[in-house]
Amino acid sequence: MTQLLLQCLIAGRQAAIPASDVQSVIEVDEITPIPRTPDFIRGLTALRSQALTVIDCSLALGLESAGDQPDQRAAVVEIEGHLYALLVDAAYDVGEASSEPVAVPGGFGPGWQRAARGMVETETGPTLLIDVEALIAGPLEEAA
Amino acid sequence: MDDLLADFVAETREMLEASGGEIVAWEADPSDKARLDTIFRFVHTVKGNCGFFDFPRLEKLSHAAEDALSECRAGRREPDSALVSAVLAIIDRISEMTDAIEAGEDFPEGGDDQLIAALQPGEDFEVASAAMQDAPRETVTANEDTSDEAAPKAARANPVQRSIRLPVDLLDEVMKGVSDMVLARNDLARRLREAGEQPTIDGPFDRLSTILADVRTAITRMRMQRLEHLFSSLPRLVRDLSTELGKQVMVDFEGGEVELDREMIEMVRDPLTHIIRNAIDHGIEGPGERLKKGKREIGLLRFAARQSGNQISLVISDDGRGIDTVRLAEKAVAAGIYSRAEIDRMSDRRKQHLIFHAGLSTADTVSSVSGRGVGMDVVRANIERVGGSIDLVSKPGEGTSFHLKLPLTLSIIAALTVGSSGQRYAIPRSYVEEIVFGSSSNVEFAEAGERRLVTFRGKRVPCLALGDILGTEANEDIEWEDKTLVLIRLANEEVFALAVDRVFDHEDVVVKPIAPAVMETRLYAGTTLLDDGRPMMLLDLPSIATSRLLMNEGRSAAPVVEEERVEARRKTVPIMLFAGLDGRRRAVRLEMVRRIDTVSREAIDIDGRRMQAVIDGSIFPLVGLEYGELSEERCRLLRLSDGENEVVYAVGEVLDAAEMEGEIIPSHDDPLIEGVTLIDDAPIPVIDGHTLFARHHAPRRTEQPLTCRIPADSDWARTILGPLVEAAGYRVASDGDEDADVAILLAEQADVPAGPARSVIRLRQEPEGVGEDAETIYRYDRDGLLAALKQARFGRTA
Repeated sequence: MTQLLLQCLIAGRQAAIPASDVQSVIEVDEITPIPRTPDFIRGLTALRSQALTVIDCSLALGLESAGDQPDQRAAVVEIEGHLYALLVDAAYDVGEASSEPVAVPGGFGPGWQRAARGMVETETGPTLLIDVEALIAGPLEEAA
Repeated sequence: MDDLLADFVAETREMLEASGGEIVAWEADPSDKARLDTIFRFVHTVKGNCGFFDFPRLEKLSHAAEDALSECRAGRREPDSALVSAVLAIIDRISEMTDAIEAGEDFPEGGDDQLIAALQPGEDFEVASAAMQDAPRETVTANEDTSDEAAPKAARANPVQRSIRLPVDLLDEVMKGVSDMVLARNDLARRLREAGEQPTIDGPFDRLSTILADVRTAITRMRMQRLEHLFSSLPRLVRDLSTELGKQVMVDFEGGEVELDREMIEMVRDPLTHIIRNAIDHGIEGPGERLKKGKREIGLLRFAARQSGNQISLVISDDGRGIDTVRLAEKAVAAGIYSRAEIDRMSDRRKQHLIFHAGLSTADTVSSVSGRGVGMDVVRANIERVGGSIDLVSKPGEGTSFHLKLPLTLSIIAALTVGSSGQRYAIPRSYVEEIVFGSSSNVEFAEAGERRLVTFRGKRVPCLALGDILGTEANEDIEWEDKTLVLIRLANEEVFALAVDRVFDHEDVVVKPIAPAVMETRLYAGTTLLDDGRPMMLLDLPSIATSRLLMNEGRSAAPVVEEERVEARRKTVPIMLFAGLDGRRRAVRLEMVRRIDTVSREAIDIDGRRMQAVIDGSIFPLVGLEYGELSEERCRLLRLSDGENEVVYAVGEVLDAAEMEGEIIPSHDDPLIEGVTLIDDAPIPVIDGHTLFARHHAPRRTEQPLTCRIPADSDWARTILGPLVEAAGYRVASDGDEDADVAILLAEQADVPAGPARSVIRLRQEPEGVGEDAETIYRYDRDGLLAALKQARFGRTA
C-alpha cells in the first residue's frame, strides 16, 4: 500500500489528504465572503477564471479556526464538479503512507472522527487521513 | 452550404475513409463476411441519408449496391470479383458525387446505369464476361468524367475537409482558456492604466484586446447549434400528439438557421414541448369543429425564430380557438386566486396571462397530454430561469401565439451589479423593472407590522433590504433614504423593491454553478467573476422572495398599472423627469440616459468655463451648471450618451420616468431646449440632445491617429507645442525617422532636414511674417496652427 498523501496541519494536528484528490496547493490571499453560509465556508476565491469555494478545515471539523493569516495555504480539490479550496494551517510535502488507514480504539475525538478515514503511518509519524467529502459537508451534517 | 448537407458530406467522407481499408481487403478475399458487412453498412447508410435529401442518383446507386450485397449476405449469391469491382466502382462514384455535392456542382449525367447493370449476377460465364466487358467500358466513362471535369476537380481537391467533429469537452476547455486570457488581459489593462500612457505598449495591447475579443466571439459561435436540430424532432411529436387526440395538424418552420447555444437548445426543449401539447390539446379544434367555423380542416402550428441582438425570439403560433378567457377567469375565481371584482377589472390581456398562474388550466378533463397541473407557470419559470421571457397574444377564434425571448447562451446573462455592505452582487436583468433612489421625493416608505413597504408612483410594494437578507445589516439600522431601490418583477407578476447601497452597472456575466453547501442558503443562483478576477455572487431572487413569503402576500395593483403602461408605451416616447439645479422640472429622452451617478463634490472640477466630472476614473464634460449651484456634498449626475460620446448633466434630483405622449412644441429661444411638452398637464422643457452633444462632445479619438513630428531639440516644442498637437488629434511621433503625416519645423531651424513627412508646417518667431516667411505660421497663432493641422488631416483622408 503506497498511497500518496499531501501532509498538512489542520487545527494544530498532523493530517493528510489523499494526493490523488488534490489538484494543486495554492496561496489564498483574497476571499470574497458569502453572507448567510455556514461559518466553515469562508467564501470564494478565484483561481484563474474559476471560483473556488473556500473551506476552513478547522471549522469544518468543528474545531477552533486559526482565523485569517497571511499566505494561507489551501489544497484545491474537485468534488462532484465543484472546486473547493481547503484552507489548512500549513501544507507540507507529499509523502507516502506506509500502512493502511486503521481505526484507533476510542476514536479520534469529536469532529475528527467524522471526517477521518483512519490513521495512517507516515515517515513523520501517525497522521489522520482526511475524508474530503465528509469534510466539506461540514459539522452541520452531523447535527442533522 | 446547408448545415445538414455538410453533416451528410462529412459523414459520408468519414465512412469512405474508414471503409477504404475494408474495401481493399474485401477485394482480396470476396468471401470475407465481416468486410462484406462493413461495406453493406456503408452503402446502406448512404442510401438512408439520401432519403433526407434530393439525390436520386446517389440513392439509386447505393440502393442497387445494397441489393446486390444483401443477396450475398443472405447467402443467395456468392460474391465474385466481378461483383467486387462493380461495387467498388459504385463506391468510387459515390465518393465523386459527394465531392460534387460539397462543391455545389452538378455531377455529369450518365454512366450510372452501366454501373448498376454491372452489379447483375452473372448466371454463368457468358454474362460474367459481359460484366467484364462492362467494367472496362465503365472505366472509360469514368475517365471521361474525370477529363471533362479535370479543372474543377483540381480546384476542389484542396478544400476537402470543410468540417470536423470535435468533442464538446474540448470546446469547453478552449472556451475556459479564452476566458482566462480575458481575465489576464483585464488585469494587465488595469496595471497599464495605473502605469500611465505608454504609446509603445498601448498600441499592441489594444490590438491584442481586439484579437482576443474576436477569438472569444468565434469560440462562442463554435458552441452554437442551429435551431433546426430542435425543430427536426418536432414534426414527429406533433404527429403523435395529433393522432392521439384525433386532430390534424400541420407544422411550419421558419428561421431554422438561427443559431443558439447547444445547452440553451436543450433547456428550451421541454417548455417548447409543453407549449406544443397545449396548442394541440386546447388550442387547435377537431376537424369537424374547424370545418364548421370555416377554417381549414387541418390546423396549423407555426414556429418562427429570429435573432435580434444577443437575443433569440421564438414565436409559436396556432390557428386554433384562442384562450377562453371567460373560463380561465372563472377557474381563477373558483380557485380563490382572484376575487370576482378583481377579475372584472382585468383587461382581456391580463386575463389571458392567467394561464401562467400556477394551478390554472382551461382543460376540463385531464387528458394524457395536458392538464395535469404542470402548467404554463412551470414553462414560464423555466424560461425565465435561463434568462428569457415569455409572452402571449391570443385572439378568440383565431389562435394563440407565444413569444419567447431567449438569450443566445445559457452561461452568459445580462446582469445588473449592485453593492451591499461593500460587496458586489449580480441580479439577472430580466427581473429588473426600474431603479429608483430612496431619496427621491416621490418614494415613500411605510411600515406595516414588520414589513417595510414602499410607495412609488401609486404602487405600494414590499421592500426588502439586501443587507438584511444577507444578514449584514439589521432592518432597524437601515437608512432607507440612502438606499437605491431596484424594483423587481418576478415570473409570477409579483413586484417588490430591493434596497441596495448602490447600483453599479449593466454587465454581461458568465455564470458558473456553486457548491451545494452554498446553494443551501437558497440565496444565490451562481457565481461569476468580475473583470478584475474577483468572484461575485448572483442572487436567486425568486428563492429569496419565497423565503420572505413574498410570493403570496403583498399583492398589489402593480401588474394592472404596468399593463396600462405597456399599452401606452407603444405610442409614446419614454423620458426622464428631473429637477435641474434651479429646482425647475426638465426632461430628457430616456434613450439618451446611460445611467445615473452620484459623486462627491470633489469629483467635479470647475475652472472658469471648463467643467468636468470624474466618474469611475474617466473624465466627462459637465453641463447643467448654468441653472444653479452644485450641492456641497453629493451631486447627482445624469450620464448622457449619443452612442459614442458621453456628457454628464448635473441635476438637483431625479424625479421619475414618464411617457411623453403629446407633441413637443419647439422652442427657438433657448438652443439647449428641444421644446416643451406636457406631462401630467404641466409644461416640461425637454433637453435638446443634439445641441448638447454638438457643444460638448469630446474630439473623437480616431482608430489610427495621424502622426506629427515636432522638433525634438526644442523645449518650447516639447512643452507648449506637443500638447496642442495631441489635442488636435495627432500622435506625436516618438522616433525621428518615423514616417510622419505632418512635421512641424521652426523657421529659425530652416537648415534642419524635415525628415520623412507628407506635409510640413513651419512656425516663425515673429507675429508678422516678411517675404519668404509668408508661408510660415506665427508660433502663437493658435487658430492658424490648428487650421493647418486640420488641413493636413483632410488632405490625408481625402
